[in-house]
Amino acid sequence: MTVVATDGRTLDGLTGVLRRIRPRPRWLEFRLLALVAFAVVAGSFSLALTVDGRFGLYDVGATVLFLVALAVAHLAQVLAGRRTDQILLPAVAMLGGISLLLMQRLPQDLVHQTILGVPLGLAEVQLVWLLSGLAIATTLGIVVRSDLWLRRYKYTWAAVGVGLLLLTFLFGTELNGQRLTLQIGPIAGQPSELLKVILVVFLAGYLSENRSLLVQQDSWIGPLRMPPLPYLAPMVAMWAIALGIVVVQRDLGAALLFFGVFLAMLYVATGRISLVIIGLILFVLGSALMAVLFQHVRTRVDIWIDPFADPLGAGYQVVQALHAFARGGLLGVGLGAGLPEIGGVIPIPEVHTDFPLAALGEELGMVGVIAILGLYLVVIERGMRIGAAAADDFRSLLAIGLSLVIGVQAFIIAAGNLKVLPLTGVTLPFISYGGSSILVNSLVVGLLLALSDKGVEPPPAPRVGSRWRRLRRSGVA
Amino acid sequence: MDGFTLVLWAARLLFLALIYLFLARVIRALLRDLRAATREPVDRHGRLIVLESPGGEPMVGRSFGLDVITPLGRDVNNAIVIDDAFASADHAVLTYRGQSWYVEDLGSTNGSYVNGLRVDGVAPFGFGDELQIGEVRMRLERANR
Repeated sequence: MTVVATDGRTLDGLTGVLRRIRPRPRWLEFRLLALVAFAVVAGSFSLALTVDGRFGLYDVGATVLFLVALAVAHLAQVLAGRRTDQILLPAVAMLGGISLLLMQRLPQDLVHQTILGVPLGLAEVQLVWLLSGLAIATTLGIVVRSDLWLRRYKYTWAAVGVGLLLLTFLFGTELNGQRLTLQIGPIAGQPSELLKVILVVFLAGYLSENRSLLVQQDSWIGPLRMPPLPYLAPMVAMWAIALGIVVVQRDLGAALLFFGVFLAMLYVATGRISLVIIGLILFVLGSALMAVLFQHVRTRVDIWIDPFADPLGAGYQVVQALHAFARGGLLGVGLGAGLPEIGGVIPIPEVHTDFPLAALGEELGMVGVIAILGLYLVVIERGMRIGAAAADDFRSLLAIGLSLVIGVQAFIIAAGNLKVLPLTGVTLPFISYGGSSILVNSLVVGLLLALSDKGVEPPPAPRVGSRWRRLRRSGVA
Repeated sequence: MDGFTLVLWAARLLFLALIYLFLARVIRALLRDLRAATREPVDRHGRLIVLESPGGEPMVGRSFGLDVITPLGRDVNNAIVIDDAFASADHAVLTYRGQSWYVEDLGSTNGSYVNGLRVDGVAPFGFGDELQIGEVRMRLERANR
């Protein structure tokens, strides 16, 4: 990562830092963040009324800490003086605030973790992740000025991603029949979260470099005109490796996410609907084959078709989620008034990771769920706008791909909760409990912020040209 | 319905209302942003930035808005005049077809190069690509940023 001083000189020490500060007000962001603060306070107030029957905030410390962190993030961006997007951060902060309220309200013993010697419950750990995520997004939005570190090394990044997955497969810890978590020393994480970002970086690099070749059509598959096949090969290989490993790891949600983002980016880059049709046919064939070959895939599909066939066994979680949505109705039963446990048993065991939307559907109702889906749409819209305004194809594809990662993932898990798609174990971005998920999605938001800066240096010349010039200068060609 | 229940319901609805107020404000900002983007002139489909020009004509850093058909060459009747010893009178032409740009070499003596590769007839010319005519290097960029 290269940090270029705005005036090109290197200044050291505090005086240097202070001299470089040129504040630029961000009134839109300020007004929107103020609304987020009001909403979080109102939610906390409502939670305290419902649960404890008293007037006040449910957890004063956590709420104040969250709001102070938002203010610090805003102030840091004002002082940095970059012309980055002002809507993205408030939208994500609203999702984070809703997440904090939900985690405060769920049974705290769902998670036990000790951070720096302090034992913490569900809401406290989630607060730590949310604050770290906010720090990551803000820092990236301020610091990243060049995209060379992503643009130049796309094959290296792809190799890192595949390496991470192989490591997980070999040394990962198994949980619920899925080998997803990698533990290195005290740090544990889910590499497939990071892999989705790496996939977008690779696809953006590859597609922007070969866009003109991919649009050429000189081979035929049946009635469909296709680009020259050799140019599709590395991409399909990347997709097959990601998909294959993910299937081996039994992480269906990630497979669905990778494939959706892959097809969308291919369509954005080439504008050829024939490629999308072929991709969809491949997808349907692949899913049918997997459903025949693998028991765990077939089970998921059977549950999806009829969860009530085994309401106390396989279909238990899905049935409970549907009941939760039904109890919520239009306006919901209110924050804190839902049924997270019946007689000491949690009806939806993975409510904090896989089913937060069901819990929110019960407590905030259809009105609340639609608002939350609207917030994800806002994130996608910002990504599309940043992509449309970008200076070149790489930045454009990167911005669109990154926002689609968040949007498609939210769609997959929301559809899974609502029994629109088979349930897959991906997280609801910024709302589900989980360090890997929140940190990686914050990384995505940070990159989007950096990409949205209009005053940043122009993209570098394409590689082929620079290589050619280097060769000619050295007298080889 | 006692007072407590009323306050309870008021607090619940206030929370939902505030989320919707936030969404409404965001959508207003989004619409304003989109309207501003559509007001920008869109008749230009791209621009050509001069990166290197030993002869000084065109000047380095100059930006040309491109018409759908833009001829380049040493002749003064070209839309972009390239006063370079290695450029032909009618050197090349840029055309916007469908969704992308193409460069066509008009049989010039020293050829046109896209990203260092010589153009043979018509070649696709993407945003961010570099065009070299004689000793002049230019980069294609999107028009409205």
